[in-house]
Amino acid sequence: MADIQLFLFPFTAMASPCELRLYAHSQGVAEQTAEAAIAEINRIEVKYSRYREDSVLSAINRAAGGDALAIDSETFALLKYADSAYQESGGLFDISSGVLRRAWNFKSGEVPSKSDIAALLSVLGWPKVELSEGEVRLSRRGMELDFGGFGKEYAVDAAARVCAELGIHHGLIDLGGDIRVLGPHPDGSAWQIGIRDPLQPNKAKLVLPLKSGALASSGDYERCMVVAGKRYSHILDPRSGWPVQNTFRSLSVVAPLCLLAGTAATVGLLKGAQSAPAWLSELGMPHYWIDAGGVDGGDLAALRP
Amino acid sequence: MKSKNARGHSAGAFKALSAAALAIPGIVSQVQAAAPVAEAELDYKASAYREADIEGSKLAAGSASRYEIDTHQLRFISPLGRASDLAVDLSYETMSGASPWFIMPGTGGGKPVQVMSGASIEEERKDIQTSIGHYFSQKVSAKVLLGFSTENDYQAVNMGVEASIEIPARELTVTAGIGFSDDEIEPTDPGMPDRIDSATRTSTTAFVAIAQVLNNRTAVQGGLTLVNNDGYLSDPYKKVWREDLSNTVADKRPNERQQVIASARLRHYVPSLRGALHVDYRFFDDDWDVSSHTVDLAWYQNIGDNWQLTPSLRYYGQSQAYFYGPFFYSARDDGYASSDYRLSPYGALSFRLRLERNWGEFSANFEWESYRAAANLAPDDVSVENPGLVEFDILSLGLNFHL
Repeated sequence: MADIQLFLFPFTAMASPCELRLYAHSQGVAEQTAEAAIAEINRIEVKYSRYREDSVLSAINRAAGGDALAIDSETFALLKYADSAYQESGGLFDISSGVLRRAWNFKSGEVPSKSDIAALLSVLGWPKVELSEGEVRLSRRGMELDFGGFGKEYAVDAAARVCAELGIHHGLIDLGGDIRVLGPHPDGSAWQIGIRDPLQPNKAKLVLPLKSGALASSGDYERCMVVAGKRYSHILDPRSGWPVQNTFRSLSVVAPLCLLAGTAATVGLLKGAQSAPAWLSELGMPHYWIDAGGVDGGDLAALRP
Repeated sequence: MKSKNARGHSAGAFKALSAAALAIPGIVSQVQAAAPVAEAELDYKASAYREADIEGSKLAAGSASRYEIDTHQLRFISPLGRASDLAVDLSYETMSGASPWFIMPGTGGGKPVQVMSGASIEEERKDIQTSIGHYFSQKVSAKVLLGFSTENDYQAVNMGVEASIEIPARELTVTAGIGFSDDEIEPTDPGMPDRIDSATRTSTTAFVAIAQVLNNRTAVQGGLTLVNNDGYLSDPYKKVWREDLSNTVADKRPNERQQVIASARLRHYVPSLRGALHVDYRFFDDDWDVSSHTVDLAWYQNIGDNWQLTPSLRYYGQSQAYFYGPFFYSARDDGYASSDYRLSPYGALSFRLRLERNWGEFSANFEWESYRAAANLAPDDVSVENPGLVEFDILSLGLNFHL
């Protein structure tokens, strides 16, 4: 058998630059695996895209206020996961919160009125989603689910599963910075993963060695909006409909699955700079944050050069 | 104290979230990677097998009470180091009752009638089967098997090897193996004039099976098995009625029997019903002219989180061995003769119902099977039904412990 070699497959999916790094004994095996993994990512993107009329997600959203819609086992399990994340985050992780984008237009530089937000809150809230075995119903007209908060992370884990099934045990999957390691380099050494400051993307703030598991980041990648001297972050609290005060610019979390890392990063950002670090430490999830002023911290900060 | 509570809650949160994530089909591989068992398990099963009494109209002489078998089975499986596992099966059976001896022609052109063994037989059987599996990688595994069985009048040793290769890219598993068994029969009452003192037989088996996962709900498997039996294959306790002698002669069968078995299985999970359909078909053919078909349909229904109810139905139908007859007018040219109902043309239906309750580390199941054999269930028309065909019920209770 030929020696094991590293093959790189850059591509674009979910509006992000992506890459598969796979170790295989032949180009053929690597290509076959990459093709299958990318097909799986595309399948998930098409199935849960908000922008496609024919997606499962669009069908669910179109039925809002109407009858319950029958859903397949994958969609049901994903919604059960979203339900679990909502419960465990005290309502911070809410996949029905995308409707807030209708009021918050950060490019316009305008702050929505309190009544606009109050109106949106009536069509927002996971408890208004009725989920039962094989069926889902959005109880109010105008409600909308959005898998943006966990679809990409799920696709990373699903692609990892495909690679493992096809016999790839050394490699890495990177979908726009959401990363899952399939296994270390063949010599047993860890992948060196750079974590960047979203505002200074040219150099890594720290390099994280990872042999297994996943890394996901969540952040406020635009400068915050300042209106009448008040700063508004882009991170919207689904409970109030208003931006979270004092949160990080970026938060990266390490977990066994990319889905878990991504959920923890999303919830951590919503919890804000005060309570997120303690919460993540209690969960036992290694993390690294950069705050609005560029100051960094978290237990992974010890790896700083 | 407060922080301790908070930590406990967070650990629970992580567990709940992980469990929800791992329930998503896309994340967890549906392909079973070859791996040794992860934890030790102990199974116990007690069964009571009861044959119905033979009908008075079919009985010529002997006891109407047929076989009863009580079985206790113990199975232990355990990991053995990192890449191996071990399985040990122990079974203890006690048997009693009368069994079919020979068949006499009916008087005045009536149906033939069964003569049963007179005295009630009391026997016990002990059996141990062990196997050690070794997993060379996630794709390649091998197993060696060794077993020993003993009865009052019978001893058998068997051994085998199997190898299994997974081809994940095609979701395919190929398993092949060979086995060998050596049996020794020493009838308990050799004093009877035409009963053998002792005899031996050997059996060699080779099989290959291919399992294919079609999608995350459906899997199929096909298999082919060849068996070669050699030695004393007659039944020392059975006799054959000869009209020309007005007497019985010993059951006599060829000293060789070559068998071919082809099987196909389908497993299909229906998520909306939380149930799975199992369809099994088996075709058997041998050089004694016996060929048979078995069709087994089972529905595994999950009820709530902890219960499973499984009704199933099995049909079996076979043609007769070329040297079979309920009785004989004169000797066959080849000298073979048997009136054993197991070599007669017949069919059988059996219905099973199994209920299982799971308590996490412990589960229990209860099963009932009702079986009835009859000539009119045979695939072909049968002119004379063997009066010894059996009807039985089995009740069993099983317990499983994760250690």
